[in-house]
Amino acid sequence: MSWPGFSFPFGAWFFLTLIPLVVLYFLKLKRPRVEISSLALWQSVVNDQRVNSPFQKFRRNLLLLLQLILLMLVILALMQPFISAGPETVEYLPVLIDCSASMSSKVNDADETRLDLAVEQVKGMIDNLRGNGKIALFTFSSGGRRLTEFSDDSQLLLRALQKVEPTDRASKLDEVLRMAEAYSRTASVEKVVVITDGNLNDQVDFELPFKLDIQRVPTGGNNLGITEMTARRSGPESWDVFVRVSGSATETAYADLRLLKNGETIGKEAIEASVEDSERVVFSVESKEAALLQATLTAKDFDSLQIDNSVWLNLPNTRPLKVYAAEKLYSWQHALSVQTETELDTAAEPSLPEYDLIITDVEDLKGSTAPIVVYNGLVPKELQDLISVAAVTENDTPVQIMDWLQTAPLLRHVQLRDVQIAEKAKYINDADSQALEERGYEVLIHGAEGPLMLQRRRGLQTEYYFLFHTDRSTLPYRVAFPILVSNVTEFALQQASLSEVAATATGVLPAISVAPNREYQVKGPLAGTYNVTSTPSGILVGVQAETVGKYDIFDGEELVASVGTGLLSSLETSLRPVDEIQFSEVRVATDEVKVIDSDRHIWWSLAFLAFIFLLFEWWYFQRAKGGLAA
Amino acid sequence: MRLNPLRRLTNRSRGEHLSGKGGSSTDFADYRDYAAGDDMRYVDWNIFARLRRPYIKQYLHEEELHVVILVDASSSMLFEDKLQRAKQLAAAFGIMGLMNVERVSAYAMHQKKDEPWMLPPGSGRQRIRNLLQFLEGVNGGGDVPIEKAIETMLRFHRGRGIAILLSDFLTFSDLSRSMNLLFSAGLEVWGMQILSESERNPSLEGDLRFVDSETGETLDITNAGELLSLYQDHRRWQEQTLNQQCRGRSGRFASVSSALTLESTLFDVLCRQGWVLR
Repeated sequence: MSWPGFSFPFGAWFFLTLIPLVVLYFLKLKRPRVEISSLALWQSVVNDQRVNSPFQKFRRNLLLLLQLILLMLVILALMQPFISAGPETVEYLPVLIDCSASMSSKVNDADETRLDLAVEQVKGMIDNLRGNGKIALFTFSSGGRRLTEFSDDSQLLLRALQKVEPTDRASKLDEVLRMAEAYSRTASVEKVVVITDGNLNDQVDFELPFKLDIQRVPTGGNNLGITEMTARRSGPESWDVFVRVSGSATETAYADLRLLKNGETIGKEAIEASVEDSERVVFSVESKEAALLQATLTAKDFDSLQIDNSVWLNLPNTRPLKVYAAEKLYSWQHALSVQTETELDTAAEPSLPEYDLIITDVEDLKGSTAPIVVYNGLVPKELQDLISVAAVTENDTPVQIMDWLQTAPLLRHVQLRDVQIAEKAKYINDADSQALEERGYEVLIHGAEGPLMLQRRRGLQTEYYFLFHTDRSTLPYRVAFPILVSNVTEFALQQASLSEVAATATGVLPAISVAPNREYQVKGPLAGTYNVTSTPSGILVGVQAETVGKYDIFDGEELVASVGTGLLSSLETSLRPVDEIQFSEVRVATDEVKVIDSDRHIWWSLAFLAFIFLLFEWWYFQRAKGGLAA
Repeated sequence: MRLNPLRRLTNRSRGEHLSGKGGSSTDFADYRDYAAGDDMRYVDWNIFARLRRPYIKQYLHEEELHVVILVDASSSMLFEDKLQRAKQLAAAFGIMGLMNVERVSAYAMHQKKDEPWMLPPGSGRQRIRNLLQFLEGVNGGGDVPIEKAIETMLRFHRGRGIAILLSDFLTFSDLSRSMNLLFSAGLEVWGMQILSESERNPSLEGDLRFVDSETGETLDITNAGELLSLYQDHRRWQEQTLNQQCRGRSGRFASVSSALTLESTLFDVLCRQGWVLR
């Protein structure tokens, strides 16, 4: 049991009024003198009463006793006592409010969302704020955001709380925890409160330097939503569009799924989904030109979350993969020639300004660009002071491939163990792989004395460097080579969005190729537009898309591109609360019992008690009169 | 009207009270065997003629009854005409005694030195005037415990009869010893408690400070209204105690209100309880 606290402890000074009350009582206590014939009977009566009444001493001054109790009750009520809910013992309390998409789900038919409940709970905590307690408000979804500094100004905190709105992003706890950790260095933070619906990842890679109190708001009703939308090229001018619909309820929920192409309905399916059994629907879409697909879900029953009911996907133009392979790279040309949907250019020099894939053994591309460039037998100029390549002589030890990054897109399922290489690349000037990384290069194939293959990303472009010439190795004669070429082709198709495209989740729009250094206007689903400027390489990057919907990019009055986003989070759509979260060292339970736990004010109880005492006092001193009259 | 004593405690001197057998009145009482030395005039010769044995014929003896009237004239009796009613009843009892040729003496218990406190015993109708004058002269006052007054009275008293105590009996002391003294002196103890209506049914409330009219002592009472039932219990208990003390000494006890009229007291209460015969 916790002792009650007081909102107005200075009211205790009013207890000093007990002194004048007692003084006035005894000054005013002048009993009427009544002369009677003899005290004999009354003395025996009083003696008898004292013997039979153990509280006679109190009763002799019962009026004073009642008045003292009455005054003390009034003063206690004035001090505004309360039964504490706990957080007042914490001096600095960061409160992290979950604003992820699931928090906007309705908990009932009254359109009250989980976030509304969370805000009410935080209001209760702000109302409970007293003493030296200070609260800092944070919101988080996929990232964190600080709303206020540590403050005990309830008005400031409430104003900040009014601005809290749900986002269309999935929840991610670690970033905001790191923000709170940063704040814990400036103030003595013992505990951090997380107000969430529990719809979080059950594993967070974060070492907790403070106690975490995860409070869960009640979960709402059922939900159906689109959690995945991809398109895979099924023919020269056709796509298979996959849409996955998931539910949050154990019972099967029903909905209609419609697929729209540039605003026109091209498919409709009836959906049955539950938390155990999501449904994947395939639409076959004929499209030669780029098109904007929209999948919309219309639930037949209560659907607590609306933002996961629409997803947009951009279909690109269907065309063959444009590949340039240098004139003398016969092994590469031979391997590429068997790839379907490929338009191979084997001229002496690149003839097109843009390719989807360039494989070359010269550094000068003559102005051509490609998202993927594979250099064969070349050391980048900026690394020539770190790496030297020379032919293997008879006295040299053979080149050994020590290890390779098997998760790299190009090296998946590629076995390089027995490949013989006639050129040796080795570190010079005490260089190592870290020195390469500092210059932006990643080693994909490690040799015994130096790197054999490097990767470098330049914006949307990815460059691969074989530091040895593949023709001076046994690689073209290995099974690994066609696999390697196939990987390169597949990766190029993906980069060119020619084989498979996926819908974009909320957050940041994918990079869009536009004119360089030009300002564009972005009009999102919300009112208003904002300007973004393309990079010198002609790419629009970092365009914020926090809300689910279609984003139109204008160049003045001209519509340049339309891109849509969707929530696309099975975690958020499932609305599934986790009971425990595993952090790096500890497990923290999410507790729904503590929800909306606020201080209980008891001043009115004391005031009511004082009123009862007043009535009792009145009755007690009036009843004798009534009794005699009767 | 005449007083009705229970045990006929009378004096040897002749009076109008039939004291028992062996008297010389004309009222026959009993027979007894003749004993040597008996007055031959009292032998019933008719019986002797029939039975051949002498029997003495006995007659009731008319002896004098001493009526001692004690009037409590302390300050407590000054409330609500209690003393007045006590004096009236004393006069009534005295006149009854004097009219029936009894010896009547009266004592007033007070501390007023200029007031009479004792009427010496006397009989005859001519004493009625003295009695009334004595009672009229008593105004009362002071703190005289009734037991002390009884002891004082017994120093002057001689003779058997009735001691009528007219008092409120509101005393801190136990009256058993005083009543034993009276009984030992050959007096039936007739106690008459005279209480005012405010003493019999007090109407009090709130916190009060009682002041004793005799001693001036004070007693603080909190919420007097709550104590009234307890007061009544104590008053009834005192009545029962006094009743037992009086009856245990061949006496009588009655408690009357000073608010009750004298006629009602005399002709109703006292007649019904056998104090007086009409």
